[in-house]
Amino acid sequence: MTDPRTMAYINLFAVLGTLPYLCETDAEARELANVKRVTIGISVKDGPCGKLTFENGGCEVTDGCDPCDIKLVFPSCEKFNAMIDGTYTPIPRKGFLKLGFLTKNFIKLTDILTKYLRCEKKDLENREFFEKSTTLMFHLILSAIAQIGNQDKVGKASASYITDGTVKMSAGDFITLSVDIKDHKLTAVHSAPEKFTSFMAFDSVETARALFDGEINAVACIGTGNVRVGGMISQVDNVNRILDRVALYLA
Amino acid sequence: MKKIYTYEKSREAFERATKVIPSGIYGHQGPAEGCYTPVEAFPFFSSRAQGSYLWDLDGNRFIDYMCAYGPNVLGYNDPEIDEAAAKQRAIGDCTTLPSTKMVEFAELLVDTVASADWAFFAKNGNDVTTMAVMAARAYTHRKKIVFFKGYYHGVAPWTQKIDYAGVIEEDVMHNIYVNWNDLEGLKQVFEENKGQIAAVISQPYMHGNFMDNELPAEGFWQGVRKLCTDNGTVLVVDDVRAGFRLDIAGSDHYFGFEADLICFCKALANGYNVSALCGKEFLKNTVSGMSYTGSYWLSAVPFAAGIACINKMKRINSPKILIEKGTALKNGLIDAGKKYGFDLRVTGVPSLFYLRIADDPTLMLHQEWIAECVKRGVFFTNHHNHFINASLTDEDIKETVEIADEAFSVVRDRHEK
Repeated sequence: MTDPRTMAYINLFAVLGTLPYLCETDAEARELANVKRVTIGISVKDGPCGKLTFENGGCEVTDGCDPCDIKLVFPSCEKFNAMIDGTYTPIPRKGFLKLGFLTKNFIKLTDILTKYLRCEKKDLENREFFEKSTTLMFHLILSAIAQIGNQDKVGKASASYITDGTVKMSAGDFITLSVDIKDHKLTAVHSAPEKFTSFMAFDSVETARALFDGEINAVACIGTGNVRVGGMISQVDNVNRILDRVALYLA
Repeated sequence: MKKIYTYEKSREAFERATKVIPSGIYGHQGPAEGCYTPVEAFPFFSSRAQGSYLWDLDGNRFIDYMCAYGPNVLGYNDPEIDEAAAKQRAIGDCTTLPSTKMVEFAELLVDTVASADWAFFAKNGNDVTTMAVMAARAYTHRKKIVFFKGYYHGVAPWTQKIDYAGVIEEDVMHNIYVNWNDLEGLKQVFEENKGQIAAVISQPYMHGNFMDNELPAEGFWQGVRKLCTDNGTVLVVDDVRAGFRLDIAGSDHYFGFEADLICFCKALANGYNVSALCGKEFLKNTVSGMSYTGSYWLSAVPFAAGIACINKMKRINSPKILIEKGTALKNGLIDAGKKYGFDLRVTGVPSLFYLRIADDPTLMLHQEWIAECVKRGVFFTNHHNHFINASLTDEDIKETVEIADEAFSVVRDRHEK
């Protein structure tokens, strides 16, 4: 069972939160974000509040929505989630002069993001596409782990068992990210950590992709050595339980 | 220098296993839950076992300190137990009418276990912990169960946590969690849930995974006992893991109190498949009225083995032997660690010891050392308590300490370079 509030946090900070990495990864996205600073504030009643800043081909997603150029206010988490699903169109509260960015660049950016995150199996046969898609998926999943661990009832139970530290997550030499845990609050860190207290290492990007796509199970892969865990394994164990819920929310 | 083991045949078998068995080897005896880190250091399958040893498919011999995760209490293939089982097998095992071996076994347990007025048999620890909780609920007509954090009472949904796959909120909604040794916390829970707590369930001391094991504080158990009695709550001791390794009369007896219900399994029949729930007279009628059984629960061979096992354990005073052997091993391991500057913590009762190198809070150093021990023929696991069996010899302990010493030296060298 999923919870609309947690879904809203995931949609804002994990799904839209992947836009900065899309701009790093994809030339077309970078071009669309190559504008003079534009900020979109998103305020969701009884839910998350965040800001997307686009400037010089890059994007940043931060907490808190003010001040901003364009403000989108949602009466409920369900309405915000509906916008992400493409079934609800919000009316901006302010920023009418910059609506062009919202209706053209932003929409196009989210379309490109969708292309990578909700791709067809055949798209993945193209190696370049596969690597871009998997990179973005890795960032998305990492952010979603943090949101679920901090917002979802069951995820919070998992987080309550995690001691302070840093879980390193990697896929071969392809990508290394981490999750910081402090007082049972999770923070996604989109870079390799200098120090870590536990690790979960996929032997290759293909293994990571197969796990994300639900084709293999991490527990089964430990025996074959395709997934390695070490250090404070209880941290990995609990992060892995949250990871199981990511699939539930992002299905 | 000891020979370094390799595991080609184990790996081949595992490849086969993964094709037809979910995760290859599931549960605590598998590489994931068993925390085999790095996985290459560990064998996966055994070919045979004898006394304190097991051999893997590649012919490597291990001094086995997991003892099948507890059942091996007298030594693998103990001739006395095997003979009793073989005799019973020759005349009947799984039959329409049960054998009176069941009665004999129950009588023996009632005579042996201090808090037992009756015995009820099943197959696994999980069967009897579940039975205990059901019995407490049936007797009290209450829903809530108190657990001590770090507990393990099996794998039935009520024993798991809300975030475990296949567990739903309703399975665990009546569970209350209290810190181990926190009598004040327990008192508060009783205050907040007056007349609602069916049972307090606990292992006799905290032997959870990933943490140093912790004995009960002075007066803790007596305080728990009083709170349960005063509040009409059933006190359940889960002695599945520790049972008969501390005290032949039950671990509640060892710590100076009496449980209302006590669960046994692992060391009950030296590897033959039987578990037991023992209890006080006042709960017998309730249990009599419960519908709870299984296809093989009244099989006679494990009863015969259990009778022989209990009798031998009593005759040789096995808990004393196990604690003495465990103490000798503990001292040897700690000294070996000190020699190389490692602070090895050995916690819990020595017959059921838990290991942790305290120099590195991430436990990676500990995992390296365990791996080096396993590759040289001492089967330890990373984050579970270990078990002593009565067939372990002084020579085995000496060899173990030598291997541990060499493993410490390898880890020290690696980190000095």
